Amino acid sequence: MVDILYVEDNLNDADIFCRLMGKLNRTVTYTVLHSGSEALDYLTGKGQHEQQRLGLPKLVLLDINLIGVSGIDVIEQTRSFERTRFLPIVVFSTSDNPKDIQSAYQAGINAYVVKPGSYQATGTLLRKLCDFWLENNTRIDYR
Amino acid sequence: MIPESFDLTNCDREPIHILGHIQSHGYLIAIRPDTYTIVHASDNIVDLVGIPASTLLGQPIDTLLTATDLPASTLVELLNVSRRNETWEILNPHRITVNGTSWNLIMHQYQNLVLLEWEPVGDDRNTLINQQLISQALTEVQTSRTLADLLQNTARRVKTIIGFDRVMVYRFNEDWHGQVVAEEKDEHLESFLGLHYPASDIPRQARELYKVNLVRLIADVNSVPSPILSVPNWSTDKPLDLTHSVLRAVSPVHIQYLKNMGVQASMSISLLYRDKLWGLISCHNSTPHFTDFTARQAAKFVSQLLSSALEFRKDKEDQTNLLQYRQVGQQLHEQLLLSDDVARALTKQSVTALDVTGATGAALVFNNRVYTLGETPDEQAIRALVDWVGTTTTESFLETNQLPNLYAPAEEFRAVGAGLLTIVLSRELNEYLFWFKPELVQQVTWAGNPDKPVTVEDDGIRRLSPRTSFAAWTEIVRNTSERWTEAEISVVVKLREDILQIVTRQANEVRLLNQRLQLAYEELDAFSYTVSHDLRTPLSSIRCYAEILVEEYGQDFTPDAQALFQKVIDSTERMRRLIRHILYYSRMGRTELDTRSIDMKHLLEGIREEILVTEKDRSLRIEIGDTPPIVADSTMALQLFTNLLSNAAKYTQLTYEGIIKVSGRQTDQEVIYSVEDNGIGFDMKQAGKMFDLFKRLENARNFEGSGVGLAIVKRIINRHNGKIWFHSEPNQGTVFHVSFPVTPAD
Repeated sequence: MVDILYVEDNLNDADIFCRLMGKLNRTVTYTVLHSGSEALDYLTGKGQHEQQRLGLPKLVLLDINLIGVSGIDVIEQTRSFERTRFLPIVVFSTSDNPKDIQSAYQAGINAYVVKPGSYQATGTLLRKLCDFWLENNTRIDYR
Repeated sequence: MIPESFDLTNCDREPIHILGHIQSHGYLIAIRPDTYTIVHASDNIVDLVGIPASTLLGQPIDTLLTATDLPASTLVELLNVSRRNETWEILNPHRITVNGTSWNLIMHQYQNLVLLEWEPVGDDRNTLINQQLISQALTEVQTSRTLADLLQNTARRVKTIIGFDRVMVYRFNEDWHGQVVAEEKDEHLESFLGLHYPASDIPRQARELYKVNLVRLIADVNSVPSPILSVPNWSTDKPLDLTHSVLRAVSPVHIQYLKNMGVQASMSISLLYRDKLWGLISCHNSTPHFTDFTARQAAKFVSQLLSSALEFRKDKEDQTNLLQYRQVGQQLHEQLLLSDDVARALTKQSVTALDVTGATGAALVFNNRVYTLGETPDEQAIRALVDWVGTTTTESFLETNQLPNLYAPAEEFRAVGAGLLTIVLSRELNEYLFWFKPELVQQVTWAGNPDKPVTVEDDGIRRLSPRTSFAAWTEIVRNTSERWTEAEISVVVKLREDILQIVTRQANEVRLLNQRLQLAYEELDAFSYTVSHDLRTPLSSIRCYAEILVEEYGQDFTPDAQALFQKVIDSTERMRRLIRHILYYSRMGRTELDTRSIDMKHLLEGIREEILVTEKDRSLRIEIGDTPPIVADSTMALQLFTNLLSNAAKYTQLTYEGIIKVSGRQTDQEVIYSVEDNGIGFDMKQAGKMFDLFKRLENARNFEGSGVGLAIVKRIINRHNGKIWFHSEPNQGTVFHVSFPVTPAD
């Protein structure tokens, strides 16, 4: 069980995420997956994760412009399973297109965050996200 | 009693076929075809057979001749032959000599009675001459003489055959008034050629009889008609029908009419064209004149030859025109097919729309332009005409040879357009093709005043009486052109189909182009979205890694290297902003408008707050005045006012104390907002391209900017059918005005 599951197919963004997580003044555990299908397997305990019966992360950070299974697909499928119906999902995307935002909310996200595009700003943002979703937010616990 | 509202339709009701009298130059009996019993007899029959009519009624036919030198069997055998042949007319005329005088017996059956009529015989020597005349007529009809010649020669022949002093060819117009179109007369008589006669002169039921009984003789207007007596038990409401009688008496109204004209004997022969009464050969004599049966038959035959020639010749005339117009129509169609410009194909090439009819002017109203050919009303008049046609129920075409009677303003241009033929190309787009014919000022010479056919007698009682005056009475017919022929109408109706086909084809092409453009637009949208997204991601990486380098290895950098890294970071920031603006710009053009009434106070205060946060290090005041609501898409309105106010903030950066004033006012049609600043301003002369994408003014060079902000503003204004204008002077500040219509766009 990890604190954050980050789904991101851009390796640079994933790398920058890891660097910034390492700089936080506390320990946050995370897993980075690089495709939508992997994320679904992880969350539903299928494929290579079948044997592992993993606990659910406290937060899913999800890029929606994924190649193959899109972020929207991931959200919709996740919401269709009882176990992950109320899993906190925050979109973390470059896109500020109202259409993308609308469809993400329609699919059932909890929040939408546009990537700030700079290192400093991203660091600040991740700190805030961790504070809120890992500390302040109260979840429904499914095991 | 004549009703107070007396008019000539009363004349129409006179029962002329059952008058109960015959003309007294002949004798009549009617018998039953099966029993030969006499059921009707003319009162004067006594003069022929020596037995009074009253004695004969109810008796067998044998009784008829008992007082003459003829044996009764003569007549009975004749009737038997006719009955066996099942026709009573085959032997007409049958020569019978009674007490030394020869008579022609003419028989016919009508409504279950056989009518026997005796009338005098003529001079046998004429028969040969008449045959010659008939054969001449036949030859002439077969050669191609003009219609006018044919009419004139026919009148002359008929005159020779029947010996009247005046023979006229009288032609009916569509309203049934008539005109003398040919005349052959004795020299001493005044000519009636060209005279017009009101329709009431030959009432409807008379015209019907002319179609059934083609020859009509009135031998003497002054003779006293002989009444027809019937068997005692004969029902009085079933008088003998004389429709086909050769002796039928004349209505007193008509006798009066003839007397007024100084005519004592008259004869008429019907001219039929396609089963319609085309005209009459009308013959007058100033003294009583009897024409015998054979001469009448000869005259009838000559007239029938003329009728068939009419049919043939009129058809030929129509056919020639139709063929010619069709060829022109075909040529126009080809021009239309070859050209993608309808107006050009119809008005600017070797054959034009004017050639498709006999019109003297034509006008095409197409794509809101007026193209004229030949003699037409001026453009303003044509446009007014378009409006008028739009108010009529015309769906495909309209034709009139009296346009001013339908549309009064046309009187102004009657000299070129008293007649109008128009086809509708599109009622919605007000597109028409017009043809014009000029006014023909016609002088119609009436035989007497056509409006005063009723006479009032000395005793003040209105009497049914034909016109007493036949002095020529002229009337000028205005506002009328030559008629449009069927050939012209059929060709323009076809032309309409051709044009519509081309227009539809072109419309389909435009629609296809539109679809492709739409597709291209969507592709472009997707493209710009993808490109900017895909550009943003590596740009973010560049920036982040630059920042990481500075953060983790900055202490090892020389000051110069540090400055260079800062430039890299600043450039990525500019590029990021530019990409964002382009995205906005393309989005503003494509997104659907979601218009609603917008709380402008709230919107402007929000923008002010944001701007003041970023500009907190300098003196800037943003004053918000009146804030009437606008009807607009809220995202776009926010974008628009953000851009305008940000610009104002940006270009007042160098001002000691920046002041931005924004306020709105409402008029009947629109809401106008003004954004005024005291910034650097600009030269109005350079401002022409201010709203173009990526265009920036020279004195803005030192300010951050992408050249997209005002292009977005302009685009948003356009989407809302609004307006934008401005006023500025260098260093004197700028004011932008934007207006939104009260009724929302889309």
